Amino acid sequence: MPVDDDTFEKLRVELRRGSLVLAVLGALREERYGYTLRQSLEDAGLMIDEGALYPLLRRLESQGLLISEWREEAKRTKRFYRLSVDGTDTLAALLREWNAISESILRLTEKDK
Amino acid sequence: MDLIDRYLAAIARRLPADKADDIVAEIRDDLLTRQEAREDALGRPLKKDELSALIKEMGHPLVIASRYRSGQYLIGPDAFPFFLATLRIVAIFLAVAFAVTAASRVAFGHVDVIRAVMQAIGNLMNSAMVALGIVTAIFYVLERTGFPADHLAKWRPQDLPEVKDKQPSTWGAAFEVAVGIYFILWWCGLVPFPGYYSNVKGLTLTPDPIWAALWWPVFALMVARLAYNIVQWLRPRWKVMRGILAVATTAGALVLLNAIYRAGHWLTVGGTLGHGDAADVDRSVNMGIHWAIIAIGAIWVWQCLQELWTLTTSRSWAPRLMA
Repeated sequence: MPVDDDTFEKLRVELRRGSLVLAVLGALREERYGYTLRQSLEDAGLMIDEGALYPLLRRLESQGLLISEWREEAKRTKRFYRLSVDGTDTLAALLREWNAISESILRLTEKDK
Repeated sequence: MDLIDRYLAAIARRLPADKADDIVAEIRDDLLTRQEAREDALGRPLKKDELSALIKEMGHPLVIASRYRSGQYLIGPDAFPFFLATLRIVAIFLAVAFAVTAASRVAFGHVDVIRAVMQAIGNLMNSAMVALGIVTAIFYVLERTGFPADHLAKWRPQDLPEVKDKQPSTWGAAFEVAVGIYFILWWCGLVPFPGYYSNVKGLTLTPDPIWAALWWPVFALMVARLAYNIVQWLRPRWKVMRGILAVATTAGALVLLNAIYRAGHWLTVGGTLGHGDAADVDRSVNMGIHWAIIAIGAIWVWQCLQELWTLTTSRSWAPRLMA
């Protein structure tokens, strides 16, 4: 029996929550500010809640994974983010984990293809 | 611009003061950048309702501000079971305290049953709310100082009760601990139970000197019994400790009961009753106590034998005893 929409939505949000961190870290291998970061995520097919991005960036910075600086661009000061050294190592480790999980799930669900 | 300023001010009011400016500056830049991008696409300035819609996409100020705060919960999922168990004990403790107080007030004619029940419920509700606040505050602090992470890391499967061991239910165990705490507080004069020292319908009951003489031994026995109940509940696998406490508290209780029994007279009835009536009541009350002491002694011996039987026939008794 298919689950109702609410249940599916909760599961989907839960599934995406962890992967968004990975996507943000991946996108910030190149320096970006909030608006351009969100655009790059959307271009890659990953939508992020408008109000969730900046708190997430702050959290990742407080965890030492990102570094940021205020700089002027297009006549306005903007906060630019990029991966720290720790962030680069963590991203590599998380990508290995991600690939391992992905392969495991593919093996487990192969017969459903 | 006015709308954006009002929106940012609403967020800033809910942010920590030392971070507010920095956070708001970043959100302002994002809103202005998005506004410019849309105006470029439309080739005209945004109308007020369009700007309003753009701001709304960001989210309610309360939600946005809350996302910048860490630890947005009082009691986390790991601490919650301990929080709930503590609340249960407190609830039982309060319920017993108010029920006993109400019953004694009715028994001694202070108030009628309905009034006693209503007052007990009212007092119980008030006390429960205060207790809920205090317990929550304590767990809020514990949650942020390492509990229950430390506790959960230290548990050992070997300490879990045997499958065949008969365990008291959580409520039953909590009840025994709560009653134990209550009696200790009553013995220390910290809670009112029962109110027989006061003048009731011209009758006063005064405890005989034997109770004052045995105050410390009775207090020690109550504390030991409380420790036994706590061990039985929280550390059922400490069988040696349970056995020692069961035997020690029962032996101590029997020695005390014997001393109390030998006193022969425990309460003195007085007051404004006629001399003959007071003597009759005195005789009846002390006769009741006489038989109660015998009954209590028999029950305690029976319970101790049961406990020892359970412990000695348990599979894990021998290795634990030798360990």
